[in-house]
Amino acid sequence: MNAIEVLDMDFGYEQEKLFDCFRLEVKQGEFLGIIGPNGAGKSTLLRLIAGLLKPEKGRINLLGHDLNKISRKQIARIAAVVPQESFFAFDYTVEDIVMMGRNPYLGRLQQPASVDYDKVNNVLEFVDAAVLRHKGINEISGGEKQRVVLARALAQEPELLLLDEATSHLDISHQHSILRILAQLNNQGKTIVFLSHDLNLAALSCSRILLLHHGRQVACDCPERVITPELIKSVYGIEPLLLRHPKTGRPQVMLPSPILPKSIP
Amino acid sequence: MHRHKGAAWAGLAAFVLIAALCSISIGPGGFLHISRTVLVFRLLRLALGIMAGGVLSLTGAALQGLLRNPLVDPFTLGVASGAALGASLALLAGAGTSLLLPVASFAGALFTIVAVYFLARIKGRVTVTGLVLAGVIVSFLFSSLVMLVMVLGHRPMGQAIYLLMGHLGVAFTRHSLWLFAGSSVVMLAGCGILFSYSRELDIMSSSEETAKSLGVDTSRVTKLIFVVSSVLVGLVVSFTGAISFIGLVVPHLVRMMFGPAHRQVLPGSFVLGAGLLLIADIGARNVVPGGLPLSVVTSLVGVPFFIYLLRRRF
Repeated sequence: MNAIEVLDMDFGYEQEKLFDCFRLEVKQGEFLGIIGPNGAGKSTLLRLIAGLLKPEKGRINLLGHDLNKISRKQIARIAAVVPQESFFAFDYTVEDIVMMGRNPYLGRLQQPASVDYDKVNNVLEFVDAAVLRHKGINEISGGEKQRVVLARALAQEPELLLLDEATSHLDISHQHSILRILAQLNNQGKTIVFLSHDLNLAALSCSRILLLHHGRQVACDCPERVITPELIKSVYGIEPLLLRHPKTGRPQVMLPSPILPKSIP
Repeated sequence: MHRHKGAAWAGLAAFVLIAALCSISIGPGGFLHISRTVLVFRLLRLALGIMAGGVLSLTGAALQGLLRNPLVDPFTLGVASGAALGASLALLAGAGTSLLLPVASFAGALFTIVAVYFLARIKGRVTVTGLVLAGVIVSFLFSSLVMLVMVLGHRPMGQAIYLLMGHLGVAFTRHSLWLFAGSSVVMLAGCGILFSYSRELDIMSSSEETAKSLGVDTSRVTKLIFVVSSVLVGLVVSFTGAISFIGLVVPHLVRMMFGPAHRQVLPGSFVLGAGLLLIADIGARNVVPGGLPLSVVTSLVGVPFFIYLLRRRF
């Protein structure tokens, strides 16, 4: 079964049409990267898939369920979102925040039971944040916060994890730890959609990469066929240097030097 | 982090009890040398104070969570002045103690919240700042309209001031007593409904989009809380007039005691709000002969607190 099916979808803001008859299929267990320049529609596509925006035309199915026909709680049991940044108006504890991920499984007046507390403990340990449990969410570092938000997403027990620039604000050590967790989840069979500006991170982690430009699919293939100097140039307008990752052989890009050679006097 | 919840609850209960005893016994004649009539009067005043303080504070807490804005309460949203306008129109129509008064007051509150909501709706989106700004503007307008209505209706200025600035000195008749009893049942039910949305409020305090992706139907919850809040504020204002700042200050104090979870913050705000309003009322009626409007006292405490919140950047 396909994890995601976007079928002939139209969507735009105001008068400007962004997606016109857009199609995308993502199989279960895939690790899909979405890249593209600013304004390409990456974030919009992710929010449409998460049911946070409604397509003007066409349909989106998650695990065969039409998004228009299932409730928010049902969507939340299938797909979880990790945003770039999270805002917390009040200083809830880390445990409280992760417990919010159990909401899709709780009835209106139902209180979390021991099964929910176990789940919260498990996901906190999985993302290596168990020691933070009783800390306030606004007292911990940005990298720790992002791991906690990831734990909250995992507490939803989703089939599909949607990450919207989730590693952009993090230092390389936290980026690495998030990507390692994602790889582990992907090995367990979870479908992951990883949206990023960082071409190298995407090339390193994803099994397939969707390159978007003005709401159109420029390419959607394995990293070797998408991260090429020609395609990058055609979309971003600069020609990068292409290297291979010494350990994995995946393509990695480097910027051409911005420094003009100094004339020797 | 918040291990002493039991002790905090015990402290709150003790505080309200002491506030209630003070409220009954402080005043001309003390406690021992008052007639039965005065005692009944003070007991009713006590009941009214508990309901008004409790309901306004609980509503303030719910609105702060819903709108992710610690500076919001029934007043910054203009709901209270809308309710006062409804009440003033009903008074002008001669609805002294009839059911029309609370109904008109509720209608004013609901109209205001809907008007503010649509005023703040720009390009299909309602922003938190837009909502608060619209609320403040509408609040100014409606306060002026209340004055206009009262003057045109040849009502005493004192009545207009009490309507806009609150008081607990309601002269109950047999009829209005029944009205108050019925309203209290409705208000407690409304508080119960808000309480039943504690978890949704917790989740919505991060962001609307996050709340949606965690399975909360945010637009439905928002509408429901707006309607229930209008009922609550409308009923309170129809008896006491608009009392400022209590709904803003109390939830912050309760969060300091219990942490931010609405399951504690909502009932805690009801209890602390009830106690604090009783204390404010003791001040309002005993400091100056003839008494002061309640908002004079609550503002003197509320404004410095508001400034503190603003400086601390919430």
